[in-house]
Amino acid sequence: MNKVEFFIDGKPMVAENGQTILEVAKQAGISIPTLCHNEKVSKTTSCFVCVVKDAKTGRFVPSCSFKPNPGQEILSDAAEVYDMRKSALDLLLSEHTGDCEAPCTVSCPAHAKVEEYVREGKNGNFLESLEIIKKRIPLPMSIGRVCPRFCEQDCRRNVKDLPVAINEFKRLAADLYYETYLEERPELSGKKVAIIGAGPAGLSAAYYLRLEGVASDIYEMMPKAGGMLRYGIPEYRLPKAILDKEIAHWQKLGDIEIFCNEKVSDKKMAELEEKYDAVIVTIGCWKASSMRCEGEELADNGIDWLGALAQNEWKGKNPGKTLVIGGGNTAMDCVRTSVRLGSDDVTCLYRRTEKEMPAEDIEIHEAKEEGVNFEFLVAPTKLRKESDKLVLTCQRMELGEPDASGRRRPVAIESSEFDIEADTVIAAIGQKTDATAGMKTNRWGDLDADEKSLNVSKTIFAAGDCVTGAATVVEAVAGGRTAGLSALAMMNGKDCEEPEIINVSRGHWRSLSSDKLVLIGEPSESEREQLTFIDLDKRCNSMQEVTETMTAEQIAEEGKRCFECSCTAKGDCKLKEHSETYGAKPDAIKGEKLLKGYDNRHPSIIHDRMKCIKCGICIKVCSEVVNENLLGLKDRGYFTSVGTAFNKGLPDSCTNCGACVEECPVGALDWKQK
Amino acid sequence: MGYDFLQKIPQEKSYLIKGLQLVQKKQGYISDDSIRACAEYFKVPEVEVEGVVSFYAQFKRTQPGKYQICVCDGTACHIKGAPLVLDWIATELDVKDGETTKDGLFSLETVACLGCCSLAPVISINGEVFGKLDRKAVIKLVKDFKARG
Amino acid sequence: MSKRVKIGTGSCGLAAGAGDVLKVLRDEFPDVTVEEVGCLGHCYAEPLIEVETEDGSFYFGEVKANKDYLQKVINIDRSICTDFSESRVDLECLKVTALVGKIPPTDIDRYIENDGYSALKKALSMTPEEVVNEVKEAGLRGRGGGGFPTGLKWSFLAAKDAERKIVVCNADEGDPGAFMDRSLMESVPHQVLEGMLICAYATGATELIIYCRAEYPMAIEHLDIAIKSIEAHGLNKFSDRTVSIRIKEGAGAFVCGEETALIHSLEGKRGMPRFRPPFPTDSGYLGFPTMINNVETFGNIPVLVREGSEAFASVGTEKSKGTKIFALAGDVKYPGLVEVPMGITLKEIVYDIGGVDPNQVKAVQTGGPSGGCIPAELFDTPVDYDSLNSLGAIMGSGGLIVIGKNRCMVETSRYFLDFTHRESCGKCTFCRVGTKRMFETLERITAGEGVTEDIDFLEDIGPKIKAGSLCGLGQTAPNPVLATLRYFRDEFEAHVIDKNCPALECNALVNVNIDLKNCIKCRLCIKNCAVNAIDDNFVVDNEVCTRCNSCIEVCPRSCIARVEGK
Repeated sequence: MNKVEFFIDGKPMVAENGQTILEVAKQAGISIPTLCHNEKVSKTTSCFVCVVKDAKTGRFVPSCSFKPNPGQEILSDAAEVYDMRKSALDLLLSEHTGDCEAPCTVSCPAHAKVEEYVREGKNGNFLESLEIIKKRIPLPMSIGRVCPRFCEQDCRRNVKDLPVAINEFKRLAADLYYETYLEERPELSGKKVAIIGAGPAGLSAAYYLRLEGVASDIYEMMPKAGGMLRYGIPEYRLPKAILDKEIAHWQKLGDIEIFCNEKVSDKKMAELEEKYDAVIVTIGCWKASSMRCEGEELADNGIDWLGALAQNEWKGKNPGKTLVIGGGNTAMDCVRTSVRLGSDDVTCLYRRTEKEMPAEDIEIHEAKEEGVNFEFLVAPTKLRKESDKLVLTCQRMELGEPDASGRRRPVAIESSEFDIEADTVIAAIGQKTDATAGMKTNRWGDLDADEKSLNVSKTIFAAGDCVTGAATVVEAVAGGRTAGLSALAMMNGKDCEEPEIINVSRGHWRSLSSDKLVLIGEPSESEREQLTFIDLDKRCNSMQEVTETMTAEQIAEEGKRCFECSCTAKGDCKLKEHSETYGAKPDAIKGEKLLKGYDNRHPSIIHDRMKCIKCGICIKVCSEVVNENLLGLKDRGYFTSVGTAFNKGLPDSCTNCGACVEECPVGALDWKQK
Repeated sequence: MGYDFLQKIPQEKSYLIKGLQLVQKKQGYISDDSIRACAEYFKVPEVEVEGVVSFYAQFKRTQPGKYQICVCDGTACHIKGAPLVLDWIATELDVKDGETTKDGLFSLETVACLGCCSLAPVISINGEVFGKLDRKAVIKLVKDFKARG
Repeated sequence: MSKRVKIGTGSCGLAAGAGDVLKVLRDEFPDVTVEEVGCLGHCYAEPLIEVETEDGSFYFGEVKANKDYLQKVINIDRSICTDFSESRVDLECLKVTALVGKIPPTDIDRYIENDGYSALKKALSMTPEEVVNEVKEAGLRGRGGGGFPTGLKWSFLAAKDAERKIVVCNADEGDPGAFMDRSLMESVPHQVLEGMLICAYATGATELIIYCRAEYPMAIEHLDIAIKSIEAHGLNKFSDRTVSIRIKEGAGAFVCGEETALIHSLEGKRGMPRFRPPFPTDSGYLGFPTMINNVETFGNIPVLVREGSEAFASVGTEKSKGTKIFALAGDVKYPGLVEVPMGITLKEIVYDIGGVDPNQVKAVQTGGPSGGCIPAELFDTPVDYDSLNSLGAIMGSGGLIVIGKNRCMVETSRYFLDFTHRESCGKCTFCRVGTKRMFETLERITAGEGVTEDIDFLEDIGPKIKAGSLCGLGQTAPNPVLATLRYFRDEFEAHVIDKNCPALECNALVNVNIDLKNCIKCRLCIKNCAVNAIDDNFVVDNEVCTRCNSCIEVCPRSCIARVEGK
C-alpha cells in the first residue's frame, strides 16, 4: 500500500493509495469548501474554492485534485487561503444572478417568508400559511389590516401590473385560524425578562422569548395592552375586538404576564434591571411634536386626541369644522375619524404637496373618498380664539431646494397670510420618544441602541418606535423579535449578532426590464383581486371596519399571480453557504452579468443559466452517470454556458431521472417544485 | 445538402474538428444541419459538436459575406491603429464588427494576429493580406472590392 | 554558378506585393533563374529580392513590380541596392534561421544540399539515449515560452513503454505580435520536420503530429509538401518502425497553446486544459504518452545535433543556451525577424537592430499577452529566461513589441486583457471571471471613469488569477497589467485621478483641436469627417467627434491634433 506522510495545518496526515488532500482532510474532519467537485463524476478542477496552500513554495493548489508529496506542509486555514477562497466566491457571485430570497421577503422589515405563505394560502393551506407568517409576524390579524405593505411595493409583479395583494393572505389566514392555532412551546429555562410597554414591539419580544422557553413580565402604562394599535390606530382600520382577540393569544401562550396601568419610573427601572435577567424597553413614541406656532396650546394634538377616543370606545362629539395639520398617517387617522364623528367639513393642511405626503396613498385616497378636503403648501403661523371659534392664520408656501431627506423644502411666500376659522384644530405633526431618564438617546431623541443587537447597555435592550422614531407596526415587531433574541443570546452568554446572510438579487422591478425576469411557471394574467369596501355612507357615519377580509376563493386566485421569484435552491445552495462562511458578498466585485436566459419549458425542471457557475457537474452526471449526453458547454470564456443541443431543452423523460438537478450546487438546474 | 465529402476523413472523434473545417470550406459556415451530420458521422453527441463549434473562433454559424474582411488586431497592428482601421471600414460599409452588410457582399471581423506584424496595420480580404494601410488605402481597397460586386 | 534571383514570397512578402513582382519577373525575364524563398527576416524591406552571384549576394528592398526597375535589379545596379545595417549583421547569430529565406522552402534537394538531414543521419548513428543526452547537455530550453529543459522532457517520453507514443509540434502560435514559428514553417519546413524526426528516434515515438494554426495556410501547405517528400525519401523509416507524420489544423483558440488544451483539441474536443498530473508524457493524446515541443525548439534540434552540444552551448548565457528568434515589431524602424544569441541586451535589439531612436521609445513588451512591459531604463537587461522573469516580463515565444513614447500604457494593458479575457476557455473561476473583471476595470479607467479603488482591485486580483488558474493563459494573463502598474503607475494615476491620458491616446480623455494659425482653410478635414463634426469656421465639435483621426491624417499642414480633454 502506498502511503504518503504530510501535514495539514501542522497536524501529521497520511494519504493512502493516491488520496487527494481533500479526501485526507475529509477523513480528518477538516472542512474544505468545494463547488465543482462531485464524487459521482470525474474531476473538473475549475472553481478553485477548495484551494489550500503549500507552505514551502507558497503555491495555492486545488485540494480536490492535488495529491500531497511526502513531508509537504499544507495550510488549509491560513488567512491567505481564506482570502483566496473569498475572492473565488466574490468572482462567482459577480457573474451569478438570481434571487436568493424573493424581493417581498427582503423588503419586509420582519423578513417574513412571503412567497411561502402566499403559496400555502393559494393552495388553501391557511393553517400552514399562518405558521409561516407567525415565524416573523406575531400579530398577523392586526398587521394584516394596518401594514403599509413594504412587500407589495417591491413585488416583482409591479413590472406587469399591480402587486400581489400580499397582506390579504395574512389577514385571511389569521382570521380563519387565529383562535384555534397554538404554537408548540418549550419548557421554561428559568430565565425571566421584563418588558416595558405592551405595544407591538413588546408583545413581539415576549412572544419570541416564550417560544425559546423564556418567561416575561410586561409593564404597560395604559389601561389595556396594544400600544398604538389600540390608542393610535382608529377603530375603523383595526377593530379593537379583533385586537383583543389577538392579544388574548399571549394569555394562551402562558408565562407572559401583562401588568397594566404600570408606568415604569426611573426608580422602578433600576429595580427591574436588578430583578430580571434582561429588560427590554419598548415604550414607543407618545409625545406629540410641537407645531411651533403661537397659540398652539389651543389645538388638540393628534395622538392624544385619538388616544382619548380610544379610551372612550371611539365615541365622541362632533368636532364641527375641523382642521388637521400634518401629512402623515396620524393626520389621515384624525381627518377620517373626524368625518366619522359627524363633521361634514374636514380639511387637512400640509406644507408641501400631495407628492411629498408621508401618509400611505391608499389612506389619502380613502380620505378623499370620504369627503376630506386637502390644502397643500400651507403652514400655520398663529392660532387664536375668537368668541367660540378658533382662527388659524396660515401662510402659503412654495417648494425650494431638496433638504436632507431629499424632499423639496417648503419656503414661505411673503405676505401670503390668510385666516381660516374652525371649531377644532388638530396638530398631527409627528411624535417623539419620551425617554426614561438616564437612558442614552441619539440626536433625534430616540433611545440609542446598537443597530444590529438593539442592546442599549449591559442587560438592557430596546425596540420599536422608541428606537426608530414613529414607524410602522411591522418594523416594531421585527425590532421586538431581534431585541428578544439578542437578550436570549446575552442570557446564554453568546454573541448577540445574527450570522451573516447574503442575498443575491436580480434587481428592483423598477430597473428590471421584462427580459431580465425569470418565471418558474406561468403566473396568471388576471388583475389584482379587489377588497370589498363597506358602503361609503356607512364608512362616513360609523366606526365599522372599512374593508372585508378577502375570501378563500379570492386568495386562491390572487396567489396564482405570484411570480415566485425566490431561488428554487433556497436552503441548499453551496455558493450561498460558502459565501456566508467566507464573507464573500454579491456586490464586492462589480461587472457585467450576462443575460443568458432561462428555460422553463420542461414540465418539472427549470434551467436558469444566469445562476450557473459553470462547474459542469450536470454535464458529467448526464454523460458519465446517466449515459445520456443531453447537456454540454457552449461558447467560451466569460460567455460559457451550459445548454442542450440547438437549445431544444431537456426532454420530458428527464422528470424520471433528474440526476443533474440533484447534483447542481446552485439553483441553475432545479426542480420547479419548491 | 450532401455530406459525402466527409467520407474521406477517418470516422474518429479526433477528426471532428477536421470534419467541421471541411464543412466550412465547402459551405462557408456551419449550419445546424452540418452539426447533425458531423454528430452522426463522428458519433459525437450533437450538443458536444455544437460546443466544439462555439468554442473555436474559426467556425462561423451564419453565412458570411462574399468578401470576408478580417482586420488584424494583433499587438503590432493594434498599436499601429487597428481600431481606427476597423472604424474606417465599419463607417465606409455601414456595418459593425462581426456583422455582414445588408447586401451580403461584405462581412467584417477582427481577428487575432495574421502574422504579418512588420506590415502593420494589416487586413485580409478572403485570405489575401494587405499591409501598411492608412485611411486612404483602406477606403480605396473597400471601394475596389465594392466595384467588383 | 550562374546568377540566381531569389524573392521572398512568405505571407509577409506576398502581403507587401511580392506576388506582383514575381509575376513580372516570370513574364518578362523567362531566362533568369527565379526562386521563391521564405522570409529573410528583413520585413521592413519587403518585397525583397536577393541576387546571388559568384561574388556574393546583393539585396534589393521594396522592389517595384516594374520591368525597367527589375531589369536594374537583375543587372545588379548598385545604386538601388539595399545595405543591411552593419550593427544588425554583427549582432545577429544566424543558426536556426541560417537557411530561412535562402532556399526554396519545399525543395528537399536544396535542403539536403545545404546539410539538410545530415543531423538526422548523425542521430541515427547514435543510440536514442545518446541523442537525448546530447540535447540535455546542450542545455536547450523550450522556445515556446515556458523554458522547460527540452532534454529532460524528451527523457520522460523515452522512459515510457507504450504501443503508441506521440510527439506533437506546437505550431499554434497565437501570441498576437509574434511570427517566428510561421516564418520557420513557411521558409524551412524540412528543418522543423528533421528536428521532429530526430526527436521521434530519440524518444521512441511512433507518431508525429503538427498542430498548426489554420490562419497559416502557407505554412500548412509547405509542411504538407515537405512531409510527402520525406515519405518519398523514406526518411521517416527507422530500422524498427515507420513514423507517421500528419498535420492537424487548429481552429482559432489561443488557449490551445497550453499542452493539455492542445491535446483535447487534437482529440476533437473543446480546447480546455485540465489539472496536471497526470502530465502528457504519462497520459496525453487519447491516453498515450505524448510530448509537446514548440516549432522553434524543433528548429534548433538539427543545428544542435549537427554541431554537437558543446558548440551549441557555447552560445548564450549560463542558464539560457543558444540563440533566440524574436519578432521585432511595433514602433520600430526595421521590423522583422532576428536571431540573436541569448544574453544580448534589449538595448542592442531595440536600438541597434531595430533602429529605434532612444528618445522615442517608452518600453518593450515581451511575451505578448502573457508577458509584461520593460521600460527603456531597463534596456541593459540581458535577454534570457531568468532575467526577464525577474522583471515581471517573460521570454515568451519571441514576440517583442516596441512601444513608442506616444502610446498609452494603460490602453496597451487594456488591449492585452481584451485579448486574454476573450481567449480564456472559461473553465477556471479566476481566469473566466477575473480576467473579464480586470478588463472591465481597465475599460473604465481608459474611459475616464476609473476610481483609485480600481487600481487596488487590479493589484489584488491579478496575483490571485495567476495563482488560481490551471493553465498558462490564466497564470500569465494579469502580467501585462501588473508589469505596467509596476513601471508606469503614474499613467494609471493620471487616468484615474486627473482624468487625463498623458499619451493622448484614450479617446474619452482627449479632444481634437485645429490650430487655426497654420490652417490654410483647404477644407480637407471637413470633407473627410464622417460625422460632420467640423464646422465652417474650422472648429471641432468634440461632442460629435468620434476621434477617428481622419482629419489629422488628411491635414496637409499638420495643424490638427489631439489635445488634453479638459
